[in-house]
Amino acid sequence: MGLLAPLFLAATLAIALPIWLHRLQTQSSDRKPFSSAMLLETTEQRVHVQKKLKYLLLLALRIAVFVLAALAFAKPFIERPATEIAASGAGTHLIVVDTSTSMARSGVFSQAQNRARQAIDDAPAGAGIQTIAADSTMRLLRPLSADKGSQRAAIADLEPGSQRLDYGRLMSEIERYAQSLAAPVTVNLISDFQASGMPAQFADVVPNGVARLNALAVGSGEPVNWGVVLVRQSAEGVDVLVRNQGLPDRTTDVEVRVNDQLIGTRTASGQGEYVLSFPGAEWLEGDNRVEVTLIGDDDLAADNRWFSIVRNEPPSPVPLLSADPGGLPVTYLSAALGAATEAGFSVQPFAAHEFDPRILTRYRWLIVDDIGAISSALEPVITEFVTNGGSLLAFSGERTLGLETLPVSGLALQPADLLGGGDFLRIGQLDRQHPVLSATQGWHRVKVLRNVPIEPDADMEPLMRLDNGQPLIVEQPLGAGRILITLSAIDNQWNDLPVHPVFVGFVLEAAGYLSGRTDRRNVYTTGDTLPLTLTGTTAGQVVDPDGETVLSLADTAREQLIRLEKAGIYEVYTPDGETLVAANVDPRESELTRISQSVLDRWQDATYSNVEPVTDGSGSLVPEPIELWPWVLLLLAVFVIAESALGNVHIAMRVRSS
Amino acid sequence: MAALKTAQSSARQLLQPEVLAGLKNLELVARSVVEGFIIGLHRSPHFGFSQEFAEYRMYEEGDDPRFIDWNVYARTGRTYIKRFLGDTNSHLMILLDSSASMGFGGPPVSKLQYAKFLAASLAYLASRQHDAVGCIVFDEAIRDFRPPSSRAGKLHGVMHSIDGATPGTGTQFERPFEKFREQVPRRGLVAVISDFYCDADALLEGVRPLAWQGQDVVLFHLLDREEMDPSFDRNVLLEDVETGEAVEVAPDFMAEEYPRRIREHVQSIATAASGSGADHVLVATDDPLDQALRNYLLFRERRQ
Repeated sequence: MGLLAPLFLAATLAIALPIWLHRLQTQSSDRKPFSSAMLLETTEQRVHVQKKLKYLLLLALRIAVFVLAALAFAKPFIERPATEIAASGAGTHLIVVDTSTSMARSGVFSQAQNRARQAIDDAPAGAGIQTIAADSTMRLLRPLSADKGSQRAAIADLEPGSQRLDYGRLMSEIERYAQSLAAPVTVNLISDFQASGMPAQFADVVPNGVARLNALAVGSGEPVNWGVVLVRQSAEGVDVLVRNQGLPDRTTDVEVRVNDQLIGTRTASGQGEYVLSFPGAEWLEGDNRVEVTLIGDDDLAADNRWFSIVRNEPPSPVPLLSADPGGLPVTYLSAALGAATEAGFSVQPFAAHEFDPRILTRYRWLIVDDIGAISSALEPVITEFVTNGGSLLAFSGERTLGLETLPVSGLALQPADLLGGGDFLRIGQLDRQHPVLSATQGWHRVKVLRNVPIEPDADMEPLMRLDNGQPLIVEQPLGAGRILITLSAIDNQWNDLPVHPVFVGFVLEAAGYLSGRTDRRNVYTTGDTLPLTLTGTTAGQVVDPDGETVLSLADTAREQLIRLEKAGIYEVYTPDGETLVAANVDPRESELTRISQSVLDRWQDATYSNVEPVTDGSGSLVPEPIELWPWVLLLLAVFVIAESALGNVHIAMRVRSS
Repeated sequence: MAALKTAQSSARQLLQPEVLAGLKNLELVARSVVEGFIIGLHRSPHFGFSQEFAEYRMYEEGDDPRFIDWNVYARTGRTYIKRFLGDTNSHLMILLDSSASMGFGGPPVSKLQYAKFLAASLAYLASRQHDAVGCIVFDEAIRDFRPPSSRAGKLHGVMHSIDGATPGTGTQFERPFEKFREQVPRRGLVAVISDFYCDADALLEGVRPLAWQGQDVVLFHLLDREEMDPSFDRNVLLEDVETGEAVEVAPDFMAEEYPRRIREHVQSIATAASGSGADHVLVATDDPLDQALRNYLLFRERRQ
């Protein structure tokens, strides 16, 4: 037992007070008048020497009250003897058990538990032991202690999950954790050591601060496993990408259900990856559930089911204003928007000079293939449309040249610089952080012959510049809306942008950005997080694949990041409506091939050479002491009550005797 | 006879200190005691209660004028006092100790209260015998002094002095004895009522001159039963009411040693009294007063 504030024990000196008071009392005893002391003689037997039990008990209670009060302030504590960690030498042993999906193979996880128990038993006496479960996160199972029994019990409660283990991320977390542990730190990693779990760089699996890595591999033999890699909607129905790892003559049946309706069963055979097509799916409006099941024997059953969501929404109409509705710009733009596989857009071309602005109320955004084609009469209408929250995707062509300002946006133009002789400009600078450009690739191939220069504006940073510094794509907020302007035409005499794949991606990304459609991702990997944003006073509720609500009532009123722990289909209820989200085991968990022994050896050797000198025993974690002061205070209260009661008894006795 | 016995038992009950304590008037107490005492006695010429005429004697200053034979005065022109059987023509001087130690005792009565009853009774008894009665009330000093006189009014004065006694300070016998020798040169009876917490030799030195003077001295040694036979069940701190000295005593000591000491002290006082020719009467405050009165009468009888 120890004391957190031992100086308070000095208060125990106060026990001199009750002792002194009792001596006074006993010395004075009963005082009575007597006629004469002439014949009296002082007795040699003093009162305070007589052992009268009742006064001794009262004195003992009073002394105990003072002692307990001082002890309570001194904050006594005890430590569990079994959890004391040796100050030096033994160090810390981390028992890390892989609980990723691949460990669910038959017999593998029980083997891993046995190896973990053995590693606990092999840890030297006095060493701190920490059991850890590792998959997409690292979870400490028990407090760090030398209590092997407690750590063994933690191993017994473990089960494999449905998430992936990345060794690089694991070693990074172990490196951070090891900084607070008593050196030397030994990591016992019990895993099937999938090659798919290794990071791109080997250095990422060599943690600093770890003296030794023991790679305890479990599972043996050549794994045989079928797994689903991808499910996507096709023009005819559903395409399923499967992978076979193992013997080439093994087959498996692949069953696809859409909204619980079986649409087909195919037999897959052969080694490697290949696509199975399942036509005939009837899509309902909204979110459609797609479930793929592999029927057959393989080493890992956890990856034999795959879930997907196919969203079936009609194309969203968008007006396209053009001076020539039959011209190439309209064709290019219509083709690009028509390439969307999900919830695309339906382009409605209009002649700019014949466009009835009253129909703008039906749309959220519009496209103009040459912003200079907007007439003076139409300009205020479109300006009002954008100001009130609408969006505009505009390109700049022949009709823009010669203007002093761009219609709607009001940007001042400079005289055009027409390059001749075949000279062209490349893209010099672009903003990769912008949502329109972040997912597009290949801008470096684009050549620009002509562009519409604008006056520099210190308050506006273009999304893209040519290599001569002139802006090519700018975004301009206008009221509640925005304008996205390309300062070149969709014309092969101006540039070759439409012939590059990046054009389609740019147009689709711009369409999604300007139309207000957010990233409605609906297929996740287990371990990913699903954001729930607050709308008004509620964020929403999520029902997991087992039908249980994920959030408490209080949590539904706060923005949340829902961790998708289970594989299956989640129902997400938000103020905007109900959507479905699918979560699947990471396909890389289906790749059961183990890391080569040479790599494992190299991994362990690299860790051995990474030992940092042990300076002292500092940093050793000791169990949190169990404070006893609440119990001492309780005992103090009991003694105070007893002292008061016994004191009242004595007072009553004296009253009666007097 | 039965009526006499009833009267005797009632009278005896009147002599109980606790009964007397209920009487507020000291003269009434004294009268009750004496009358009750008399009822319990046979008529005896030797005790001076007879009213039979015995002889005449010349009137002396201080004699009660009620006993002047006026017929003789008318015939002879001289004043003569009638003497009855039992008259000794003496005086009784009561020395009453009113020191602080006399305030100890009780219930029902303290030593001083009992002493006052006794002194008043003696005074009344003596006055019935036509003796002159006086008193000195003292502690460390003389608190009150009444010269002996047989006049009716004088007895009232003596009663008043006795009644006014309250526990005072310490005890000092030398001064009252000296006062007595100065003020009362005539031979007579001296009754000293005290608890005599003093040195026996010092007391002897004080009493002896009185005896040489021809006084007949009786010492009424008054003690409370708690002083003679104390009972304590635990150690106790006893504080001397005169000196303030506090002594812690054990129950064993008070039960065994102290009674022996007090007996020895009483014996030493008795011895000192005897050595100086005085009588010594030990009186407990719970004793009926008739015994003390009886002892007085016996003393008086012997001195005649």
